[in-house]
Amino acid sequence: MMPGRAYTVALRGAAHRSVLDGGGLVVAIGFYVVIVGTLSGLWRVAVDANGGDLGGYTAIALTWYVITSEAAIVSVNARHIEEIGTDIALGTVAVELLRPASVLGIRVATEVGRGIPRVAALWGSGALLATVLSGAPPNPATLVLAAPSLVLAITANLLAQHAVAAIAFWIRDAGSVWFLYMKAVFILGGMIIPLELLPDWLEHISMLSPFAAMAYAPARLASGHWEPVLIATQLVWIGGLAVAAHLAFRAGERRLQVVGG
Amino acid sequence: MRALRATARNAFAEAAAKPAALAMQMTVMMINDFAWVIFWVLFFDRVGTLGGWDRDSIIVLQAVLTTAGGLSLGLLANGRRIGVMAVGGDLDAVLALPVPPLPFVLLRRIEPVNLGDLAFGVTLFLVACHPTPVGTVTFVLVSLASTTLLTAFLVLTGALAFFIGRSESGELGFHSMLLLGAYPVDLFAGAIRVMLFTVIPAAMIAAVPAGLVGEFDAGRALALAIAAAVFTVAATVTFTLGLRRYTSGSVWTRA
Repeated sequence: MMPGRAYTVALRGAAHRSVLDGGGLVVAIGFYVVIVGTLSGLWRVAVDANGGDLGGYTAIALTWYVITSEAAIVSVNARHIEEIGTDIALGTVAVELLRPASVLGIRVATEVGRGIPRVAALWGSGALLATVLSGAPPNPATLVLAAPSLVLAITANLLAQHAVAAIAFWIRDAGSVWFLYMKAVFILGGMIIPLELLPDWLEHISMLSPFAAMAYAPARLASGHWEPVLIATQLVWIGGLAVAAHLAFRAGERRLQVVGG
Repeated sequence: MRALRATARNAFAEAAAKPAALAMQMTVMMINDFAWVIFWVLFFDRVGTLGGWDRDSIIVLQAVLTTAGGLSLGLLANGRRIGVMAVGGDLDAVLALPVPPLPFVLLRRIEPVNLGDLAFGVTLFLVACHPTPVGTVTFVLVSLASTTLLTAFLVLTGALAFFIGRSESGELGFHSMLLLGAYPVDLFAGAIRVMLFTVIPAAMIAAVPAGLVGEFDAGRALALAIAAAVFTVAATVTFTLGLRRYTSGSVWTRA
């Protein structure tokens, strides 16, 4: 089987399994609704207390921002870095090396496949919630950009997680790293606070970081801002992160073959 | 009680067996907690005072939350895993011992990473919350009440797995409680506010205790104590009834 076809099969298979796991999806939606209901409520109170505008965002815009940024992150397993590290440490990856396809490629394709139905279900629920709690999307046309941007966001996130988790080839335990990674996504990625609301210096750093491609980009689009450049930025980061993850895994796999798992 | 004390001592010895790893994990968690404090500082710097909450009061809230979280998730670490253990059949070894199962399970394991929460919470209170003698005593008491409530809630939601056969309820309860507990409850109204005080009593594990540290109120203190007692009873009853439906997984070493 050609590697390209193997990735497609892995993606479709994972997406199919994700759809069939109805119970898991319901739990994820329940958790997501609790989070976005609360966080968007906090931001609406803050906007109301500040004359209806906060950093260029209205209460409706911030609600749509939050439901999108949270969907982008919650749809990806937060502890994926830890799990990849465990697979490396236990030798699972060594077995995967026997396949005639890239370990990294298959793993990323599988996780993206798993994430797409989840992000669709979460965002759909969030859109319903946002409409009920706050109102219709501030600029419905931007949702056309936000939808593909969400898929790019989870792809960038998964590639970055693999690049970071590759550290387990050398230190054996990447268990704690995911905490730090997630906190970077929370703030630098704009998951819980739009980057425009950060102090100027931190906003500039965040805008230049790959984390902005994982939550801020789709959320900014869904909040009514027609900025196609965000999609281009995501594509650039996906390319960079794919190269970084590929190099890290290639070096790690070589080490595994030389010194054993 | 002797058996339970010995269990706790063993759990401590296990956690302290790798001091370098313990220090590393605690440090990572402290950085994690610090990121949340940064978020709230940025938030209140941007929006000003909201519903009586400002930067100082939210720092007290974070200190109480991380201290209680550290005590519950660090020292009584299996509280979070009740659902997984129930579904996975991991309780065999516990049931064969002449000790009350629930206290034994709770004391059996310490989670080193969450000891970082405990260290962070206490440090944050001492460094950033302007502690007075009365305030410090109140902080200790409300943190213990909050710990009791959080542990009971985790056991209760985890023990539901005995009845529904899936362990997600425990994880969902855990994440909901900690996420929602970090928010200043007075900012919410309506159904969300009612939920934060009752079904998911997140307000009771951080916002109410933090308010008591700032300004003691006997009525709120009593409400906190009652909530802790009610959830403790509910958790114990649910766990005990759930054990009757427990199915062995022939796993003898993971409890």
